[in-house]
Amino acid sequence: MSTISVLSTILLILMLLIGHKHGWQAFLGLVINFVLLFIGIALMAFQIPPVIVLIVVGTSILAVTIFTGNDDLAVTTTSFWSSLIVLVILSGLIVLVNYHAMIQGFSNEQSDEVAGFSVQIGISFLQIATVSMIFSSLGAIAEASIAVATGLEEVLEHQQLSTTQFLLSGFHIGQQIIGTTLNTLFFGLFGSSLALFIWFSQLNYSLEQIINNQILGQALIELLMSFLGVLLIVPVTTLVLKHRQLDKQNQQ
Amino acid sequence: MMNALKKFSHWPVTILMLAIGTALLIFTSTNERYYRNPVAKIEQTTITQHQSLHDEFNNTDQQIQQKIRARILNGRYKNHQIILNNAYTKSQGMSHRYSRGQLLILNPITQQQGRLSSSIVGLKRDRLITMLLWLVMTILVLSMQRAGWLALLGVLINTGFLIIMIKVNNLLNGNQILLIASLAATIFTLVSLTLILGTSKKMLATLIATLGGTLLSVIVGVVVLKVTNNKGVLFETLDYATQQPIPLFIAETILGSLGAVMDEASDIMATLYELKSVDSKITQAQLFKSGIKVGEAIMGPLINVLFLIFIADTITMSLLYLRNGNSWGYTFSMNMGLGMVQSLISGIGILLTIPLTSCCGAYLLGQRRDNQ
Repeated sequence: MSTISVLSTILLILMLLIGHKHGWQAFLGLVINFVLLFIGIALMAFQIPPVIVLIVVGTSILAVTIFTGNDDLAVTTTSFWSSLIVLVILSGLIVLVNYHAMIQGFSNEQSDEVAGFSVQIGISFLQIATVSMIFSSLGAIAEASIAVATGLEEVLEHQQLSTTQFLLSGFHIGQQIIGTTLNTLFFGLFGSSLALFIWFSQLNYSLEQIINNQILGQALIELLMSFLGVLLIVPVTTLVLKHRQLDKQNQQ
Repeated sequence: MMNALKKFSHWPVTILMLAIGTALLIFTSTNERYYRNPVAKIEQTTITQHQSLHDEFNNTDQQIQQKIRARILNGRYKNHQIILNNAYTKSQGMSHRYSRGQLLILNPITQQQGRLSSSIVGLKRDRLITMLLWLVMTILVLSMQRAGWLALLGVLINTGFLIIMIKVNNLLNGNQILLIASLAATIFTLVSLTLILGTSKKMLATLIATLGGTLLSVIVGVVVLKVTNNKGVLFETLDYATQQPIPLFIAETILGSLGAVMDEASDIMATLYELKSVDSKITQAQLFKSGIKVGEAIMGPLINVLFLIFIADTITMSLLYLRNGNSWGYTFSMNMGLGMVQSLISGIGILLTIPLTSCCGAYLLGQRRDNQ
């Protein structure tokens, strides 16, 4: 058996042992997301415009992550809409930043890797880079949104709050998750870029070379955008939840 | 809303951040004099040649030659004009289309018969990156206040330790990367948790659970790699490896999963402490069960965070492979195999941390049944 299949089996068994029914759900969510991303890559390889892929696949991934991640329908519905709103805002910003940062495609450090390939593949690398960056932020946004919505639902069960008080509660919950969320993303960057940092150091890159570097720029922008998404999700989730609550009251 | 505004905004901090932002903007807009390489501002670009490209895989693209007139901003030839040639493809895979107003970093300029010539190193990105960092930091400290400052402080301290870690790695010629990474992971966790939780028993328990979970997952990973003989894992595909790839890969895995594991351990521990404060007579078994329940709810989203980041980062390269007529299997094993192993090990870490943290918390806080 290959290493990947053994590790996947261990992951599945652990999920089932710890989560029982939840475990199945979580594993299924992971597999569906995997398949969705592959479909996304395949569609782009068939030259479907990345923007369309983003809208279809991105929304689906968000839905799968959120609806398999939690059972409370009130929480998941709020999370889904809030994440979608943040995603739209964030996408606009990522498009703008990537256009100016020119971090798409491959850099000089990767020339060995792409040597022998035909790089003129006729798909806009800027669009690919932008879509990839948005995909990579989906998980963090969804996770934070579920956390904030779950916390707020709990607050709601105990008391009635005005919009202002509600926002304050939202930020209070945000404050509890922000440190650890930043750590998740930040250590993720440390891990994925460790070899690159050692490369910079061993090849004696100067500070000006490092700060202007294309790959580091891409990794940093990706981290900052995901984190910005998490920061935005706090007030947005709060407002969406409040809005849904008012709607419900009006209907009654 | 006005009330909310009054409560949220802290004017001294806002003014401080705006001042810092202005200073950074001015500095990064005028810092060419500190650059060793020549920096030039593009004044005009003209297209000199335009050519359609076809390759053997039926990809069509366009190759465009661009003539760039730029003004040099620093060094010996300051304020001189220079003409640069730039070739790019329309898809901009390994080349860039530059336009008016952008700042370029150039290779050292040579002068031949009164004409200056050089070639382009790349775009000057420092201003954009700096301002983006500033923007996110500002939003962080304004919206999250104390928690935001602490998170920021943690990142700064840990970045310092990362730099030290890399320097030490180089001093030891990359031979002890595993030891260094483990030590760094311990320091990173200690710094982050101290800032979030302060020095307390709770912090210590979370620390032990985080490090234990990470360690266990790496052990599982290494054992599986050994038992399966690395089947299907191509360590030579590790990006930018300048030293032994296998230890480097494991070091990356340790650091990469640390944050998510810490996130989860803190969440579970926080809930257990809350339960204890509500019911001081809660038993170990009850606490353990509650811990598992919290973990169960967050494990899916957390593992998804890591998986999505890893796959998203491989999209560009995968598309290149696929558009060059490679099979899916080959594309997967060349680009995603290592990341997949890494994410699976992280996922296993996230899962193992759930019972581990619940155990630590239950042991620390719960009453043993026979005591009752």
